[in-house]
Amino acid sequence: METLVQIEKVRKVYKRDEFEVPVLNGITLDVPGGDFLALMGPSGSGKTTLLNLIAGIDRPTSGRIIVEGKEISRFSETALASWRARHVGFIFQLYNLIPVLNAFENVELPLLLTKLSKKQRREHVNTALNIVGLGDRMFHYPRQLSGGQEQRVAIARAIVTDPMLLVADEPTGDLDARNAEEILNLLQRLNDEFDKTIVMVTHDPKAALHARHTLHLEKGLLVEMAAEGMETISARAEA
Amino acid sequence: MKFSKLILRNVFRNKLRAALTVLLMAAIFFFVATLLSILENFTLFSDAGKGQNRLAVQSAISLANVLPVAHEAKIRQIPGIIDVCEMQWFGAYYKEPKNFFANFAVDHRHMPAVFDDYATSPAEFEAFAKDRQGAIVGPELMKRFGWKIGDRITLKSTIFPFNPELNIRAVYNHPIDTSSLMFHMDYFQEAMGNNGLVGMFWVKVKDAKNMNPISKQIDDMFRNSTDPTETFTEKEFQLNFLSMMGDIKLLFHSISLCAIFMVILLAAIAMSMSARERVTEIAVLKAIGFGRRLVLALMLIEFTTLTVIGGILGVLGGRIVFSVVNMTRVTQGFLVNFTLYPHPIVTCLIVSIAVGIIAGGWPAIRSANMSVVDGLRRVV
Repeated sequence: METLVQIEKVRKVYKRDEFEVPVLNGITLDVPGGDFLALMGPSGSGKTTLLNLIAGIDRPTSGRIIVEGKEISRFSETALASWRARHVGFIFQLYNLIPVLNAFENVELPLLLTKLSKKQRREHVNTALNIVGLGDRMFHYPRQLSGGQEQRVAIARAIVTDPMLLVADEPTGDLDARNAEEILNLLQRLNDEFDKTIVMVTHDPKAALHARHTLHLEKGLLVEMAAEGMETISARAEA
Repeated sequence: MKFSKLILRNVFRNKLRAALTVLLMAAIFFFVATLLSILENFTLFSDAGKGQNRLAVQSAISLANVLPVAHEAKIRQIPGIIDVCEMQWFGAYYKEPKNFFANFAVDHRHMPAVFDDYATSPAEFEAFAKDRQGAIVGPELMKRFGWKIGDRITLKSTIFPFNPELNIRAVYNHPIDTSSLMFHMDYFQEAMGNNGLVGMFWVKVKDAKNMNPISKQIDDMFRNSTDPTETFTEKEFQLNFLSMMGDIKLLFHSISLCAIFMVILLAAIAMSMSARERVTEIAVLKAIGFGRRLVLALMLIEFTTLTVIGGILGVLGGRIVFSVVNMTRVTQGFLVNFTLYPHPIVTCLIVSIAVGIIAGGWPAIRSANMSVVDGLRRVV
């Protein structure tokens, strides 16, 4: 598989008042297209920061992030926003749906940034909601949905623009075991059937089992690779 | 607009806060539109003589000073003048000081030519002209005191040492001035001992183009006399008259500005709360590709929608209130045919947009500039 995401010697240091807090200490990582990668590690290990950098919502202190041949770490904020709209779908732990919009309208949100007509938008939203199995709940508001259903709507919102990359930060962290399993199966299906590249942060080893590969971070370094298919991913920690 | 649903839902997401903010805006804009309309009402009154080609000739010292009646004959000699009418502000009230209204002594012989915008039935005017103690009265004043043609009334003067006893002989109609009373100059002069003095002259000019040259000619004529004059157009005269009450315009504008300043502060608090409650949502919007400018525009439109709704309700409420309440009666003739006028309404609507932008500007900019990671950190 071709490399979709290239991370080269990426460092990230946050400034907290007068202190500098290093979070990532020179990560180099290739993520092939079509992969389902789980990032695991203890709190503060830098996994969410790495996810944010891959998704283009944060910038590295140093190093390069190249997605599909484009060095997104050099994009302007406006260009990055536009790039995210076209290429990345986000799935959050707490779903983060807009409470004043119903499921259809929430899923439609990313499409408002495109030039699609109202009819085309409706078709895309219907398709996305049907994929996640919520075609019959499209006019329900988030407060009228269960946690699992809200997360499905969030997944529909993430895939509605047909992005190449899905980033999921603890997508099952707020769900019971049954709903978590359903969501993970759905993500696996998106990876298998729709060839979506998924990068997922999780604390849950059971969740990580749904991924093709698992990487462990500790103190800002990649410390281990697991699961089969290691040959498709090259990752090394550079201290 | 693609985003209208998102904007409108956010405007009313906290219904109580939105309702209170809108009500506050409506109350303030009702108040401001009313103040501005009162000023407009004054201007309308001063515009009433526009197109009438009338000049007001008063003492150069002040309106309170008198001029010799003999000036009239000299003014008449100036070419381009149709007629000249003596007028004296009488400043009396009816029965009690609270029943104060505009009343004048007027030379009835020249009144029809100079004040031809005051319509009267010929029979009534003739009755007025023939009766030395006759009075011609505006319709609102007739209603206010329940007067009828033929009634005999006594005015109590606050300036002059006599109280005229008058017979109401005629009612005039005028588009703006509906609450004045005029009686015979002869009666006034006789009561004052024919001292040969009068408050002012109204001059009717044939051609509007000659207003300024004639005005200058009159003042030049008396410049070196013991009683110099100052001549104004009717609008200038009315505005000068109003300015005797103090700088009402400055006062009203200052009060309006204070009210708008207060409403900006209160709206800013409501909008900051609204933006702060939605930090995560805004971060999500930015994460999925909503750019900084789009977020800024959406939030400003949202905040401005709220203030504009308040503005519209305020001026609409004002139009309804003033169409029901007879302000001429309520203000005892101070405000005639009062309503909220188009100019104050447009001003208030523009100001309501500005209030939304100013009050919502800071929270909107802060939201637009917020880092996605910082916004998501609350929950992620």
